[in-house]
Amino acid sequence: MDWLHLLHQACFGAIAAAGFGVLFNFGLRSLVWCGVAGALALAVRTLGQDAGWSLEAASFAAAVTTSCAVRLLREPLGAAGNAMALAGCIPMVPGAFFGQALLGMFAVTAPHAANADATILMAMEYILRVIFTVAAIGAGLAIPAHLLRTREF
Amino acid sequence: MTAESDSVPLQHRRLEQIAMTALRVSRLLTECGARVRVAHDGAALIVRGLGVELVGSRTGYASQEITVSSGANTITRMMSVGPHGVNHRLDHALRALAVRVSKGDMTVEETEREMDRLVKETPRHPAWVVALAVGVACAAFGRLLGIDWAAFAPVLLAGLIGQYARHLLLKRGVNSYIVAAAIAFLAAALAGLGARLAGSATINLAMMASMLLLVPGVPATNAQTDIIDGFPTMGSARAVSVIMVMVFATTGVWLAEILLGVQ
Repeated sequence: MDWLHLLHQACFGAIAAAGFGVLFNFGLRSLVWCGVAGALALAVRTLGQDAGWSLEAASFAAAVTTSCAVRLLREPLGAAGNAMALAGCIPMVPGAFFGQALLGMFAVTAPHAANADATILMAMEYILRVIFTVAAIGAGLAIPAHLLRTREF
Repeated sequence: MTAESDSVPLQHRRLEQIAMTALRVSRLLTECGARVRVAHDGAALIVRGLGVELVGSRTGYASQEITVSSGANTITRMMSVGPHGVNHRLDHALRALAVRVSKGDMTVEETEREMDRLVKETPRHPAWVVALAVGVACAAFGRLLGIDWAAFAPVLLAGLIGQYARHLLLKRGVNSYIVAAAIAFLAAALAGLGARLAGSATINLAMMASMLLLVPGVPATNAQTDIIDGFPTMGSARAVSVIMVMVFATTGVWLAEILLGVQ
């Protein structure tokens, strides 16, 4: 176990989640919880990937853990818990993969594409990872919310 | 019989006011990034709190409809939905208002006044604070992706400038997809140039990290949640809008790569 790598991922997950929390207009107190949720999500995902899980499986486990954690903490978080779990999972959304997949597709459609087979394979791999990872995050957040119904208002 | 003493038109006017108030809550919740289920539940709380029955509601990406009834009178109204964003504090203030109205202590006029106040007075972070926070978030995202430390500051600065420029363009009413392409180009070019000057070995990743401020993460997860909740139309519309934003943003990065000669 590389504890330094785990700490690095958790810290930057927290910073990314809190930073986007400002964009989403969370209050100051909520931003702290967004950061905690981001750190938890990235820590669980990193542990999963270190254990040999795929990105999709690790992201699913991270989203489920974060969603369950906000339910355990419903006293201090109240009805805003769902939003904080979502903010915590934002750093796991594979936007860069999506961009790289699209850039790969642009390259394949160029007039004289070099290594078109390898490029399309890479683009397909990225796009599938995006679809499965976003699905894993969405399902991971939604399943505990549906099973452990908590007030939304 | 005059219009004032005719109970049917009076009932319709009252129903119409209630329907429009409920639609406004639902619209504002949707514009704040709430899921369809939350928007519908908010409207239902308002309708019942104001003393009438909810027959049904429908939420599309650009408009919403509601049907309310009281006795034999039924009325259906529609309202346009503005640009979709994310505003957590207004979202939760509106939910709290819906709960208050549901207790039956508020009139339509009081509810409308309170909504006006919430829209006007719910605090927002200053634009420069948001830009700084987004810049830091992009740099943090970059570290998660694997950028080296030399690229950290350029990505932070590019994200900061990109977010502030996005704020200005959206304020001027520029189309959000055009904004995505323009900001991705600006941020990626700045990050790529800065990373190159700083001697980074991860210029490609730095360029990609700088445009992550445009990735619509909340709509992407809401799309799925809406489908799971039984609203596939809205879920599909959200998914399509996410794909469109990413296509436009990636086009901006692609142009920046051509400009800088990055492969």
